[in-house]
Amino acid sequence: MRVIKQKPMTWGERLYIFEALRGLFTTIKHAARGLFRYETLPTISYPEGQPEVRNTYRAKHRLMLRPDGTPRCVACGMCAAACPAHCIFIEATASDDPRIEKKVKRFDIDHLTCVFCGLCVEACPVDALRMDTKEIVFEHRTRDEFVATLETLTAWNPKDYPDDEQSQVAPGGTKNAEARKVWGMEVK
Amino acid sequence: MDIIESKTWVEWIITIAKFGFCFVPVLYILLLIPMERRGAGFMQDRQGPNRSYIKIPFFGKLRVFGYVQNMCDGTKLFFKEMFAPAGVNKVLYYVAPAIPFAIVFLSPCVIPWFGPMVFEWGGQTVRIAGSIVDSDVGVLLLFGFSSLSAYGAVLAGWASKSKYSFLGALRTSSMTISYEVCLGLSMMGVLLLAGSFNLTDIVTWQENHVWGIVAQPVAFFCFLIASIAETGRAPFDVAEGEPELVAGYHTEYGAMQFGLFYMGEYSHICINSFLIATLFLGGYSVPFVTTETMQAHMGGALAILCGVLAFLALAFLHMIYRYSRKLAASKQSNKLEILQEYKLYKIVAWLAAVVFIALGVCAWLFYNPANFIVNGIAVGSLATAVGTALIHLLVLVVKSIMFCWVWIWVRWTLPRFRYDHVMHLGWKIILNIALINLVVTAVIAKLVGGN
Repeated sequence: MRVIKQKPMTWGERLYIFEALRGLFTTIKHAARGLFRYETLPTISYPEGQPEVRNTYRAKHRLMLRPDGTPRCVACGMCAAACPAHCIFIEATASDDPRIEKKVKRFDIDHLTCVFCGLCVEACPVDALRMDTKEIVFEHRTRDEFVATLETLTAWNPKDYPDDEQSQVAPGGTKNAEARKVWGMEVK
Repeated sequence: MDIIESKTWVEWIITIAKFGFCFVPVLYILLLIPMERRGAGFMQDRQGPNRSYIKIPFFGKLRVFGYVQNMCDGTKLFFKEMFAPAGVNKVLYYVAPAIPFAIVFLSPCVIPWFGPMVFEWGGQTVRIAGSIVDSDVGVLLLFGFSSLSAYGAVLAGWASKSKYSFLGALRTSSMTISYEVCLGLSMMGVLLLAGSFNLTDIVTWQENHVWGIVAQPVAFFCFLIASIAETGRAPFDVAEGEPELVAGYHTEYGAMQFGLFYMGEYSHICINSFLIATLFLGGYSVPFVTTETMQAHMGGALAILCGVLAFLALAFLHMIYRYSRKLAASKQSNKLEILQEYKLYKIVAWLAAVVFIALGVCAWLFYNPANFIVNGIAVGSLATAVGTALIHLLVLVVKSIMFCWVWIWVRWTLPRFRYDHVMHLGWKIILNIALINLVVTAVIAKLVGGN
């Protein structure tokens, strides 16, 4: 245990008046900043001015896609297992692709229950789930609308992620189809 | 009839018009509340309230730098239901908020708003005092009025039948009593030097010698602290300390009754800052210039006044242009409507700047009292007297606004004292310093002045 000893106040500090004047100087500096450099204030006039969201901010989820446009998710259920709020609901079905066992039929995230901890993203073995949409506003009329389905989770625009190469190849890519053709598989 | 005929009609008009000064503290409320709110915001790195607006058809929204917020607040307070809790003393409960607010109209009577106006009219010299009541006990009258406002707090605390209100009222009354003593004693030094209780005489003495703040710096400090404490504002607002007493003596009040207490507090600040400016900062007197010099060069004085106002308009323009540029470069989605509003301010400020500069040049070139003749009567000396009064009034207003800012500044800087610390500071420190200062001043005045 570390004990921090407070320094006894000096004579000038005990007089209070000089320290008070120092405090007054600090506040007048801030007041002058607000008056003469209004735009440097750290506050944002919120709905009109939007805050800058960092890349690492855990915002609304999205599902990554393979180059042919299908979700990367293999319905392993690890995200649902990792979720502390139990807000992820997954139903699996057989995959068309013989290399992959399952594909996802239903993938719902209830954003009213979600705590945005990011553990699902960490748990995903195929990097299908990400939280980098930077969408911080959730406003809907009904509770059902707060549940993000497979459609909404995959309906993102590659143009919003110009720095991410993996987001650029999907959706509607042809690389997977070409690969299957090479391996002599049925192309859907 | 004799009374009416004892004065000329010009004298009567000016004497009656002086009663308009009673409303100055109420006007100051309109100035102080936005100053407090936005000032507090800026000190805490916030923007302060700036969202409410008036919608003007075919133009857009008028935000007036957040000023509209106060109109909204005032309207809301005014139209709320007046509510009294069960078991209160109805009469006292409803009378109490009116007391501090009524005092507001009495206190400005003794403050000299400008130097005595002396001018020739109809072949005789007319002298009109700068205060509404030119009393020889001016300061005492003012103190009497301002201590009366404690009755409002005491009655409110007693009538509203709540232990929080009652404790708040007890604290207010004890604070007022203790700090009135300090206030009176710290002021005595200046009175001693000026040799008069008349506020006009005190200002005249300061004009001829030095300002009170130079002659009595210690007294100034004590007076400032004591008067902040007397108005019951932070850091001395133990009477309405939220953590202990909800809101002090006006806990049970809402709507405009609360509004009256609120306005009474702000007017009290206004009166006290006028008093400090009068006692310690030379009141209406212009720094470094005597009234005689100013009256001898009235045209130049008016020109300088117009120049200062024009400079303020140009400084305002600079700020508006600068901020418009920054706003236009930002991504804010409502910037177009704000810039639209700023366009209006730019037009007004440019007009004001041009008008002030033109007026200043005219005053500089063409002001000559000998030329002022209306219907064959020479009004030159009246014009000079009115011009002097105008400059005096503006100087006093600037000084008092400076002190009003000190009130706000101190409130948002220093944390609240504990109740026993406040009493300790009042009775054991400030009172003693004021007493010692009084004795030293008296000795020095006797040795130097010899009167």
